[in-house]
Amino acid sequence: MNDVDTPSASPWKRRFLILLWVIVAIPVVLVAWLAMRFGGDVPVDYDSPTEHFKYGSTGGEHEMGFPYWIWRVLPEVCPQYLPGKGYQSLGMIYEKNPDGSDRDLPIGTSQRRYQGIDRVFVNCAVCHTSTVRTAAGQPATIVLGMPAATFNMKGFEEFFFRCAADPKFSKEYLLPEIERQGGDLDLVDRYLVYPLAMAIMRDRVLALAGRFNWVFAQHEWGPGRVDTFNSAKVIFNFPMAHLDPKEFDAPADFPSLWRQRQRKEPREMQLHWDGNNTTVEERNKSAAFGTGTTPPTIDLARIARVEAWIMDVAPPAFSQFFPIDEPLAASGAPIYKEYCAACHGASGSDFSGEYVGQVTPLAEIGTDRRRLDSYTYTLAVNQATLYAGYPWRFTHFQKTHGYANLPLDGLWLRAPYLHNGSVPSLRALLEPAASRPKAFYRGNDVYDPVQVGFVADQAEAGGRRFFRLDTALPGNDNGGHEGKSYGTELSAADKTALLEFLKTF
Amino acid sequence: MSYASCRNCFKVIAVVVIVIGIVGAVIGYQRGFRELPQPDWVTASPEMRFKYGSIGAENDAGVPYWIFYVLPRIFPEKLTQDGKIIPGGYAALGVPWEQGQELPVGFTKKTIGFPRVANNCAVCHTTSYRASPDANPVLVVGGSSHTTNVEGFFRYLIDCAKDPRFNADILMAEINRVTELDLIDKLLYRFLIIPITRKRLLEREAQFAWIYRQDFPDWGRGRDDAMNLTKYFMIRAPMDDTFGPTDMPSLWNLKKYVWEQGHRMNYAGDSHDAYSVIMDSALGLLGAAPANQEDFVGQVKWLHGYLSQLPAPKYPFPIDAARADSGKALFSAHCAACHASELTGRPLPLAEVGTDRGRLDSWNKGAAIQANQVVKEMGLERRGLVEEDLSGYIVPFLDGIWLKAPYLHNGSVPTLRDLLEPAAERPTVFWRGYDVYDPIKVGFVTDTPEAQRIGTRLDTRSKGGGNQGHEFGSQLSAADKEALVEYLKTL
Repeated sequence: MNDVDTPSASPWKRRFLILLWVIVAIPVVLVAWLAMRFGGDVPVDYDSPTEHFKYGSTGGEHEMGFPYWIWRVLPEVCPQYLPGKGYQSLGMIYEKNPDGSDRDLPIGTSQRRYQGIDRVFVNCAVCHTSTVRTAAGQPATIVLGMPAATFNMKGFEEFFFRCAADPKFSKEYLLPEIERQGGDLDLVDRYLVYPLAMAIMRDRVLALAGRFNWVFAQHEWGPGRVDTFNSAKVIFNFPMAHLDPKEFDAPADFPSLWRQRQRKEPREMQLHWDGNNTTVEERNKSAAFGTGTTPPTIDLARIARVEAWIMDVAPPAFSQFFPIDEPLAASGAPIYKEYCAACHGASGSDFSGEYVGQVTPLAEIGTDRRRLDSYTYTLAVNQATLYAGYPWRFTHFQKTHGYANLPLDGLWLRAPYLHNGSVPSLRALLEPAASRPKAFYRGNDVYDPVQVGFVADQAEAGGRRFFRLDTALPGNDNGGHEGKSYGTELSAADKTALLEFLKTF
Repeated sequence: MSYASCRNCFKVIAVVVIVIGIVGAVIGYQRGFRELPQPDWVTASPEMRFKYGSIGAENDAGVPYWIFYVLPRIFPEKLTQDGKIIPGGYAALGVPWEQGQELPVGFTKKTIGFPRVANNCAVCHTTSYRASPDANPVLVVGGSSHTTNVEGFFRYLIDCAKDPRFNADILMAEINRVTELDLIDKLLYRFLIIPITRKRLLEREAQFAWIYRQDFPDWGRGRDDAMNLTKYFMIRAPMDDTFGPTDMPSLWNLKKYVWEQGHRMNYAGDSHDAYSVIMDSALGLLGAAPANQEDFVGQVKWLHGYLSQLPAPKYPFPIDAARADSGKALFSAHCAACHASELTGRPLPLAEVGTDRGRLDSWNKGAAIQANQVVKEMGLERRGLVEEDLSGYIVPFLDGIWLKAPYLHNGSVPTLRDLLEPAAERPTVFWRGYDVYDPIKVGFVTDTPEAQRIGTRLDTRSKGGGNQGHEFGSQLSAADKEALVEYLKTL
């Protein structure tokens, strides 16, 4: 249109285009790159429900996730805070890759890329999966949904708090170890993301350390146990040092997760060892706090997949591993019916019974009271504030005054017995407390089909030291659940028959 | 550019400004002031309404919900009693709290722009008792909240606001851990709600200066210095040296008070009738003139009707009928002249009963005149406070007396059985606010290790805490005292 101006406009046009690039295009590209690099919230997903149970996300990585490579290298950076090599030494289970090597992450951990960094944290399976072996030389079978009888939760927590406080928790030590293990960090990760993540993680872990100081002061839980509801008090930042001392030292065995539908229908059972909640979904969300979730960051869709799977999943049968003497078991059935069924259900798959899923007062059951005392009315009312503002705010937590009568599905895999795991085998549980072992070892996954429980008389095997549980220590009392009505006065022959029948559960 | 197009551009600018203004005003109204009714369950029954229903206190006295929610997580070490840190969030304050409820009894949640928490009458007038240490509490609405540490709650909010950590960064970080606010709410909280709340709470420090006095004992659980609250809060009187802590009274069966028969209300007969007391107490909770006067009067009338008809609770444990029967005769001979006669519900000169005078001295005629004036200026009608010099305490009705422990107006005697002893033999020190019931001595357990851990210590030699006076019946035989106490369980 205006040809005359063109020669003189040309340099201006060029300058304009440069300016346009500088003030518009470059920032746009930069923002797009930043959004791609640091935006996004993508968990690693698995199609199969069992793979999802083992490795799927609950959403805990948002708030608590460890940067993938930090998780990987910490056992090498802080080996002095582990009982042995790697997370395996805490009882975590690594499956094999097709090529025979260990997978990069153990069962019970999940991955999510969030804010531009791959993060790792634990999921349900960390406390609800374990292994069983028929003899010391035999391969281990992984059983999903069973109590994590080998996992040392207290050791796991203490490891991270100690390592984060260690001078070696710095990029000078972490980055070379990451490189050594094959972590090929790009420039942004190496010089920006990881150094920042280390600082943030260290601050985060150390800030939480104050809330978890009480854990260090507890008697050892050993593998397979956790002090569930003192941990729950940490959510509210209760000043733990000022709790009534009788609330502490309250370890309890991890429970199994099988057959949840029958704990919900036809009638809701009192869940948890002390029966403090009657709602499966609320109980699940409460447990999910243990996997690092918070109300805004919980991944309900993925937890729903786990919830659906545990509804009907059944435990493996004892007979797949060891023979059962069928006639003997049959002769044990009437004894079970007479002594046990009203409280523990008709069988391992039929949970009908007048008192099943209800709380028996402590004075009657007589087992160790610390787990009961750790759960207070004060905690119960505070829990009713959890998920405030959401339609699923907790409304069912209640203080009880005894322990719940649990159904016995997969009973053989739920050793040691009683809520605090203070009795190594079913055989020992049928003895009066005075005749039960005063001390025994936990954490061995070799099964003893005679006693019906894990091998508990070996201090170590295959280079692994097991945990010696001393029933004289607070929280470990092995009394209770005894007397005529609990079967401890049956004849030896009757006990043997009853045991055989219990193997069919 | 022509003049016309510039006019157009002014028009465009004007329209944009108006649109922004309207959108801003709508958002501001929606998020700052729009009042939403409480959910239906709150008013589903009269008892629920009494426990959780708003009486309108959220407008001025309300604390923004999410601030209220996170404070115990950020400042757990400030929840103290008798100088000790008590774990448990707001439960550490001894408030009655039902399992499954988001807030304790007497705490109301209402959205006025944003959800806010305030209180209603039930926070001080719901009794918690337990049959044994291994039992959950039973809550009795209308009774005395002998477990609630009111002074502790006042101090807690102020102490939090005084802490430099009460700032938007720290509060928002904790709030973001428990809920997802949208952008507008996030901005409102950060830039308006948190700073304004802090300022408002700090203003309370001056009004509540006397609760920080080192020379006064703590109120502890179940007591408040009610008339000084009125003096300093309602009529802004200058601080004096009086201190008159009393038990929260029970509110059941208020219809027994008949003004025409000379009955007066409050421990020292300070107020003419129940309606006036309810209105004045409610104004105390509002902390200001009601935002909606018609609604407020409606609330007071409803409370008056509800509490007039609310029956006294029946004694829930076994009663030895024969012994109670012999106790009835003793009651007629020794107690009825005051407690079941035309004297009941009316003031008795202090010299005749001889109990602690702290409460009587904490109020006066001049204050009554001023307070009546303040309420009148709000445009509220009531008989109001008694504009006279007061002579002594009201002779109480004894309905539901079993649950009104500790005894005497200042809660200085733990049990009825102790009250039948001469003052010199009553406990000098005991612990209040533990809710396990003692059916032998009739009152709450006050001296076991658990009672000492949970309760607050009352030294009866402390200011306002004297356990002297009312030494009636102390000359009876032990057997007679037990029979009399058995009978009192039936009232």
